[in-house]
Amino acid sequence: MRFKASIQNISTFTKLTASLNSLGPLAWVKLSENQACFTIIPEQGTQVWAYLRTQDTIFESYTIQSAADNIINLEVPLTSLTRALKSALQATSASIRLTKKDNIPLLALTIVTTSSGTSRGAFGTTTGTSNPDDAFGDEHEAGTGFDSAFGRDRETIVTQEVPVRVLSPETVSGLHEPRCREPDVHIMLPPLIQLKSISDRFTKLALVGAKSVGGSTVTAAVSSQRTRLEMAANMHGCLRLSIQSDAMNISSVWTGLSNPELDPSQVLGGEEGIREHPSTRMKELGSADGRSEEGWATVRIDGKDWGKVMSVGRLGGKVIACFCHEHALILYVYLPNDNGMDESVLTYYVSSYSA
Amino acid sequence: MVTFNFVLTPEAAARIHDILVCLAKFSDSVSIEARRDKLVFTALNSSNSAYASFSLDGKKFFSQYECLPSNGGTEGRFTCGIYSKALLSVFKGRLDDARGKDTAIDRCEVSVQDRPDQTECRFVIKMVCKQGVTKTYKLTYESVEVMHALFDQNSAKNRWSIQSSLLKEYIEYFGPKTEQLDIYAEEGRAVFTSYTEKIMNGKEILKHPLHTAVAVNTSDFEEFNAQEKIHIIISVKDFKAIVIHADTLKTSLKAFYSQPNRPLQFSYTSAGMYCEFTLMTAGDYTEAPTPSGAPSIPGRANLRAQSAASERPESRNMRLEMPPPAVPASRASNRRLRKPGSAKRVISPKPAEADPDSLFVPADEEDHRWDPVDYRNSEETLGWDASGDSDAGIHPTFRDSGSLARTESEDSTDGLAPTQRISQIKGLW
Repeated sequence: MRFKASIQNISTFTKLTASLNSLGPLAWVKLSENQACFTIIPEQGTQVWAYLRTQDTIFESYTIQSAADNIINLEVPLTSLTRALKSALQATSASIRLTKKDNIPLLALTIVTTSSGTSRGAFGTTTGTSNPDDAFGDEHEAGTGFDSAFGRDRETIVTQEVPVRVLSPETVSGLHEPRCREPDVHIMLPPLIQLKSISDRFTKLALVGAKSVGGSTVTAAVSSQRTRLEMAANMHGCLRLSIQSDAMNISSVWTGLSNPELDPSQVLGGEEGIREHPSTRMKELGSADGRSEEGWATVRIDGKDWGKVMSVGRLGGKVIACFCHEHALILYVYLPNDNGMDESVLTYYVSSYSA
Repeated sequence: MVTFNFVLTPEAAARIHDILVCLAKFSDSVSIEARRDKLVFTALNSSNSAYASFSLDGKKFFSQYECLPSNGGTEGRFTCGIYSKALLSVFKGRLDDARGKDTAIDRCEVSVQDRPDQTECRFVIKMVCKQGVTKTYKLTYESVEVMHALFDQNSAKNRWSIQSSLLKEYIEYFGPKTEQLDIYAEEGRAVFTSYTEKIMNGKEILKHPLHTAVAVNTSDFEEFNAQEKIHIIISVKDFKAIVIHADTLKTSLKAFYSQPNRPLQFSYTSAGMYCEFTLMTAGDYTEAPTPSGAPSIPGRANLRAQSAASERPESRNMRLEMPPPAVPASRASNRRLRKPGSAKRVISPKPAEADPDSLFVPADEEDHRWDPVDYRNSEETLGWDASGDSDAGIHPTFRDSGSLARTESEDSTDGLAPTQRISQIKGLW
């Protein structure tokens, strides 16, 4: 079993693992020749299936070998991995490989950095001479020291070892990506920082509302309180986020968003499939100003869980949300890349609560 | 009777704060030893495996310093022990901060009230603030015999020194919950490895903290003169505490050691301060330690009670049996007040301030807003601003649950609920 890759885009990889970590502490990582799939399946809340192309985006010179069709399944603690990756943010190069020590499998990151610490010795002597005539002679003398202070000698090698668990193909054979019916509405989400700040605010309101009703306020109870947000979208570029309680009904509406056209090659049944597609029917309902009560596909989500999902905004990718009315919300987060083909995508499955 | 008083500039008071933060990571109580010419703060950890000492020069560090011990000539001293947290809460951070105009101090005057004709013995600290405000703190103290670690620098053939800022960078790579630090040199590189020795199996393995090795060229050291291929193992927590403090002084740190299972000393100096740490080490000459091999708790450092009283027999024993077996911690309790199980709480109340050049800060700041909100300790809770309503804090508030809850007993940011329940109105009729 062999896996080795150099990490080309450390910052994206770090942001990715940090985003995934907010949903759960452990990831199932399936490494194969063409892609690395990071999956989080928490006991409760949103699932993520992240497919990364091994050829571009994050890795470089990616090699994998295993007895099971060159597929390796690992269980990886994301907190440790994120922490390890963070120490590579300023690195000149970083690589990751699967190894074993004392019979414990590890993901070992080797990070080469150059220290940014204050220079000393040679630097002090050269700058210390204010006389420009002497500078040359001094520099010559201190030459070796200068090299060691700024040359390759100053490289520091950091090795971070993250313990992992190797999963057998049987263990993971029962894990499948959720299936969902064709969505009623698909829409490009507004910048996630906007959406996150508003949904966070609504969630707070929901908590305060629950507190004043609940009587004695205990912080522990906060975690068990329900913070339902209602999210809806139509096929005319409108997105609505609202919170309802006995005392209030607040909503924010975005208009002028785009509803991407469906690609006939991706839809079951081609052109015919698109004509029959639920979203085609939804197009006939509702209006672009968001005032009409018709044509909305609605889901009820948990505010706190949604806050964790929004953590993916740090990656800065475009996000398409697919609404299955009263059933589920699926987010496709596309990692920014240059060539525009075969993008790496993170899929979030957010389920809708009935009430 | 003792005459002991000194005056600190705001900068020196801030330095005292840094010292106390560092000492608090070693022990719950700080020992103070005043001599005619210098003041020494020391702490010894509960397992007697780590000792920290900060020696402040009477003339250089203080703007005024006077110590006339009641007995003895030049060797006379005044010693006492104070609870670290009490002292730390007096020397809060940002004492010399020009921005905090209201809290900035002009000078700090410390004196000891220790006279037979007074009923109270107190350690008195006066913070003379700007705008004519003087804060006076009177702390209780206990008389202690100050223990000092003995360290023979002549036998410590291995020595190196390095800029503290570099070490600060290295410790930032370490995982947050690791316990041991292994210092090892080989082929022109010094390797600092932070790890935790725990035997785990199954799923527990995934909870194992990071194992981090930082390999540094010995040419990055100012001086490196140490034997290769020996493992010196100390506690990461101690090392971090030392490095973080050394970095506040932007000085270079020196290390002296002889061999594994013998004490190691770190020291550094800065304007009128001499800082010294003696740590017990574990480790071996051979290959990397096996998971069960090296003891996870370093042995006790070599200690001697350097009190004016004669040396006690126990401490002489300790010097003979070096490295000694574990001795019940109760031995140390005669000189310190400590709550059981408090060792875990000696975390700095003020986390080390992040270096502006720190490795993680830029990314974290930018990244932070993406983290899910923790609603449990949110400062920005929605509520009424009841500050104008003086009654609100005094009268009990009725709640639907029927219990009488004083609003003041709740988190002040909660405020009053925006609506009044119908059941309450009924109750009032």
